[in-house]
Amino acid sequence: MNDKSNTLLFVRDLTIYYITDDGVVKAVNGISFDLERGETLGLVGETGAGKTTAALGLMRLIPDPPGKIISGEIVVNGKNILQATKHELHGYRGKEVSMIFQDPMTALNPILTVGDQIAEVIRLHEKMSKEQAYKKASDMLELVGIPSERMSEYPHQFSGGMKQRVVIAIALACNPQLLIADEPTTALDVTIQAQVLALMRELRQKYDTSMIMITHDLGVVTEICDKVAIMYAGQIVESGNLEDIYENTKHPYTKGLFGSLPSLSSKVNRLSPIHGLMPDPANLPDGCAFHPRCPNKMPECETRCSVNTEIESGHFVRCLLYE
Amino acid sequence: MSNKNKKEAAKQSQLHEVWRRLKKNRLAIFGLCVLLLIILLALTADIISPYPYDYQDYSAAKEFPSFKHLFGTDNYGRDILSRVIYGARISLQIGFISLSTGALAGCILGAIAGYFGGAFDTVIMRFTDILMSIPKTILAIAIATTLGPGLTNAMIAVSISSIPNFARVVRASTLTVKDQEFVEAAVSIGAGNFRIIFRHIFPNILAPIIVQATLGVGTAIILAASLSFLGLGIEPPTPEWGAMLSAARAFIRDEWYMVMFPGLAIMLTVLGLNLFGDGLRDALDPKLKT
Repeated sequence: MNDKSNTLLFVRDLTIYYITDDGVVKAVNGISFDLERGETLGLVGETGAGKTTAALGLMRLIPDPPGKIISGEIVVNGKNILQATKHELHGYRGKEVSMIFQDPMTALNPILTVGDQIAEVIRLHEKMSKEQAYKKASDMLELVGIPSERMSEYPHQFSGGMKQRVVIAIALACNPQLLIADEPTTALDVTIQAQVLALMRELRQKYDTSMIMITHDLGVVTEICDKVAIMYAGQIVESGNLEDIYENTKHPYTKGLFGSLPSLSSKVNRLSPIHGLMPDPANLPDGCAFHPRCPNKMPECETRCSVNTEIESGHFVRCLLYE
Repeated sequence: MSNKNKKEAAKQSQLHEVWRRLKKNRLAIFGLCVLLLIILLALTADIISPYPYDYQDYSAAKEFPSFKHLFGTDNYGRDILSRVIYGARISLQIGFISLSTGALAGCILGAIAGYFGGAFDTVIMRFTDILMSIPKTILAIAIATTLGPGLTNAMIAVSISSIPNFARVVRASTLTVKDQEFVEAAVSIGAGNFRIIFRHIFPNILAPIIVQATLGVGTAIILAASLSFLGLGIEPPTPEWGAMLSAARAFIRDEWYMVMFPGLAIMLTVLGLNLFGDGLRDALDPKLKT
């Protein structure tokens, strides 16, 4: 139990399916990871790998129906979130764990002023008078680099990057212990991305917030994360710290991801992409989900999926090559 | 404090924008003027109407419009102008009160159906389908007959028959808004269902509700007048336009003015409401503009 004392989040075998008329979409298939206080985990994967579903699962925000959390355990601060009552969830969302959404253009209510929206989360979770809440909201705005005079403006009066700052202000307004950022920079252009990432890094250090950064951008991961988990077809295929993943890449899929990135240091004529497409999550292949695309495929891969193997301390790979 | 002022200014500027668009629509402004005039008449009825509405002067019965009685007198010698002015009170009262209660009920039902979906949706919407399959007038007549005549019962009948329209409009709009990301974001900050419906969804679908309401008041007034005309609504001597029409019906051949002025009043009120409602719809939704 001792080694869990500093663990904020503990996820075991989380399995989430979408049960539709056309079949069962296996979005997340038994993912497990831990997150310590103040640590940042990068959840990397292609579109459709189940990253967002996993994040929504952590918030208990899976739309049900059709989504269903089939099995698993999500423990935040010693509390099992999957058994929380509706009332406990209202206290949990926004206060202990909050979320930054992918598209700041749609994540803000167009008819409420940004001040109203920041103050709303504060008033939901903290016993404050209206004035105090608005005062704190203006402080939060200043904190993310927006002059507090703009509190009474509506979202359409802000640019994309500023809206994302407002979203960040809302997410951090109640000092959550865990912040889930679902591709927070995807909808922004590159210079604004850098600003937003710098802001998030700064605020994370200031408040010692743990963070889960969902992205498909391996560059963003190196900027901000301590640990990385690579997701493929709803499974974590490789996880470890930055060095494990970037310098000591093991899983063929991770290697493939790096192979598809252009590099400034070495001159190559062609990138080496991963051939084929991500399997349909409603119809996953037998054995290892990656085997149809894997350059190192062995006959056994078609029938059996590897267990998670720890090849070095903290570096897990799910591949028969290393079992 | 300065913050608050600024906030007010921002809110006003939105209203200002709608007003600016509305102003360009001459017909809508005409409708608004007619409406305001009628409301003013209704409010000041005690002061401006030349006679009390129930003052009977048998010596002056069925008089043709003259300077003494601008709209003439009815078969009991009551001044039609005064009765039309007082009638505005009753008609507007029925129109607005019954419509707002109906709208409130319809909005709540529609929001529940749209937001929660599933069994709620099926039960509520099938029920409104049943109500909608019965023509409004027949439905109101059926309710009014069951409850008996009288002002309150007429209002209940009218408001019940206006529920389905609102439930439909609100459900449809709720469906489009509830799947937007800011609603998900509101859930993710720990907001409850009640808060999400009333603070995040409702204000976003206010425009269609306002339009439906403005147009609905006209329908409600006609419906109430029809009920009174059939003897199921307001009872005499209360001057209700529909009841006045009904009473004057027998004299239509010789004393046409007894029918014409209450009828004209209904027509003008409803026309004003409809013109204004149409204009408001265009002003509230700039995307609709053609």
